[in-house]
Amino acid sequence: MTEMEPREAGIDSLLQRSMAAPVPSLPPDFDQRLMRELRQGSQALDRYRRILLTGYGLTSVVASAVVMRGQGLDWGAIAVMILGPLALVAAVPWGRRTIHTTMRHSAK
Amino acid sequence: MESDSQLVARAQGGDQQAFAELVRRYSALVFRLAVSILGREFVPEAEDVAQEVFLKVHHAIESFRGEAEFSSWIYRITFNQAVNLKARVRFRSPHADETVLYRAVTPEPGPDRQAETAQRDQALAECIRTLPDVYQSALRLYYWLGAGVGEVAVLLGVPENTAKSYLHRARQLLHGMLKEKGCSCD
Repeated sequence: MTEMEPREAGIDSLLQRSMAAPVPSLPPDFDQRLMRELRQGSQALDRYRRILLTGYGLTSVVASAVVMRGQGLDWGAIAVMILGPLALVAAVPWGRRTIHTTMRHSAK
Repeated sequence: MESDSQLVARAQGGDQQAFAELVRRYSALVFRLAVSILGREFVPEAEDVAQEVFLKVHHAIESFRGEAEFSSWIYRITFNQAVNLKARVRFRSPHADETVLYRAVTPEPGPDRQAETAQRDQALAECIRTLPDVYQSALRLYYWLGAGVGEVAVLLGVPENTAKSYLHRARQLLHGMLKEKGCSCD
């Protein structure tokens, strides 16, 4: 309880009477609804990101192939120059995982 | 029981269960703070604010560096979100006036007394709406939602003495305003 001046006592009891009303609360399923909405939202975002990345990847592969072909390279060299970096990108996480696992085992 | 900072660290790593636990811990408090700022006429809007707050927190949790308590951070977001919403809905007609809600839970006195009480409550509700947001929130938390001074202080992110002074100053202002309107406080 807060310290009160005598003239405040009147307004205090008026506030107590006037503001006495049922206390509202959130619906019982609020948490579940919110988590469901968050899951749906992040799934939609993931899908959007994947579509965007795939589109970007395909466009750049086609553009690179056309440019390289225009420079007179044969299709074999073009395939190596496009697939080589892709294979490297795929191999790096696999390599890191393998090194991490080997180090954990040797630490034990 | 896991601390907030442990749950936040897990949620930052994408653990949805940790975030669900944070929602379970804070949803009622966030709603109480929102409803204390918006008032009795805007309970459905306070629910929307609570939802928006958690969506924002989920979106921004990776950038939360733990320099302040998670609770202070979420209450600050709630306060700002509710104040912004209040500014938007200020000129819209409320679902029901605060005094109507009051009358619904009080016994019926005689017609004259009833009219006088209704008039005074109407004046009081109008005066409360003109107070600064922190005073309104402190008053509603304390007198309507039954919060102690400690809880008022935590939700408003101020020391207990400041919360006490908010209540004290709000009562003084209301006393003066009601006097000006010719209403008795006794």
